[in-house]
Amino acid sequence: MLYKRYIEIGRVCFIRLGDDIGKSGVIVDLVDQKHLLVDGPDGIGRKVVRLNQVALTDIKINIPRGCKTKTVRTAMAKEGVEAKLAATSLVKKFAAKNAKAQLGDFARFKNRVAKTASNRKIRSTVRKLKKSS
Amino acid sequence: GRKIPTPKEPMTVPYRMRILAPNEVVAKSRYWYFIRQLSKMKKGSGEILSCERIHSKKPHMVKNYGVWIRYMSRSGIHNIYKEYRDTTEDGAITQLYREMASRHRARAESIQVIKIEAIPASKCRRNYITQFHDYNLKFPLPHRIPRKLNNPRFTTRRPITAF
Repeated sequence: MLYKRYIEIGRVCFIRLGDDIGKSGVIVDLVDQKHLLVDGPDGIGRKVVRLNQVALTDIKINIPRGCKTKTVRTAMAKEGVEAKLAATSLVKKFAAKNAKAQLGDFARFKNRVAKTASNRKIRSTVRKLKKSS
Repeated sequence: GRKIPTPKEPMTVPYRMRILAPNEVVAKSRYWYFIRQLSKMKKGSGEILSCERIHSKKPHMVKNYGVWIRYMSRSGIHNIYKEYRDTTEDGAITQLYREMASRHRARAESIQVIKIEAIPASKCRRNYITQFHDYNLKFPLPHRIPRKLNNPRFTTRRPITAF
């Protein structure tokens, strides 16, 4: 198959734009060409989102079309969606980006100092190697 | 919302109408507009007993709505039947007004919604609605266009369209 991730019932998607950024939900129904009914039981709740706002993950669960939130919840628990999601690069990258944005000034200072020190070490080692070769 | 007026006569008959409007003010106004056409009652000689908002049933389920309208175009009055997929009636009607404005240049004041009804999938007549009735419907997102056109405005990198 050329495409691996489809917009389909049961596909777990990650919200990448909008108010619920960073949260995930399962596609429960398709409203129209540009909107999905998504359900993330303890996150975004049951909501209509635009296709634009969504990034697809590799995770797909088995749920009937338009099912209730309770069904979604039990299906998610059964397939261990939480754990799988935490392992996806989308979630990890978002968490890392978020963590960086939450850093205080002192933390950023520490990072800068550490980076300069390591860069200096790298450059001096490279220079030594160039001279010896 | 529902509106019940009683004209200022003893034992007058109250009428209730289901009006689609963005707010209470417009709702009351449209109520009088329609009631005046249908009975001998005017705003000056009547009163609104109550104006309440009706919420849609099952707003967390996607439904197919059939909408019957009457609208005034530049050259005449026409009836139209349209279908929409949405979770609530409000949403479907909003879609309707937007579509009528864009396709027919019809403003809200020239549109009268005769009926809106959640219809079963078997009764839908429009292809663009029935195409969503496939139980195993799925489609990929082949070429996604990033919409950040100004950030950065000029770049040497081609955009990534698979995400």
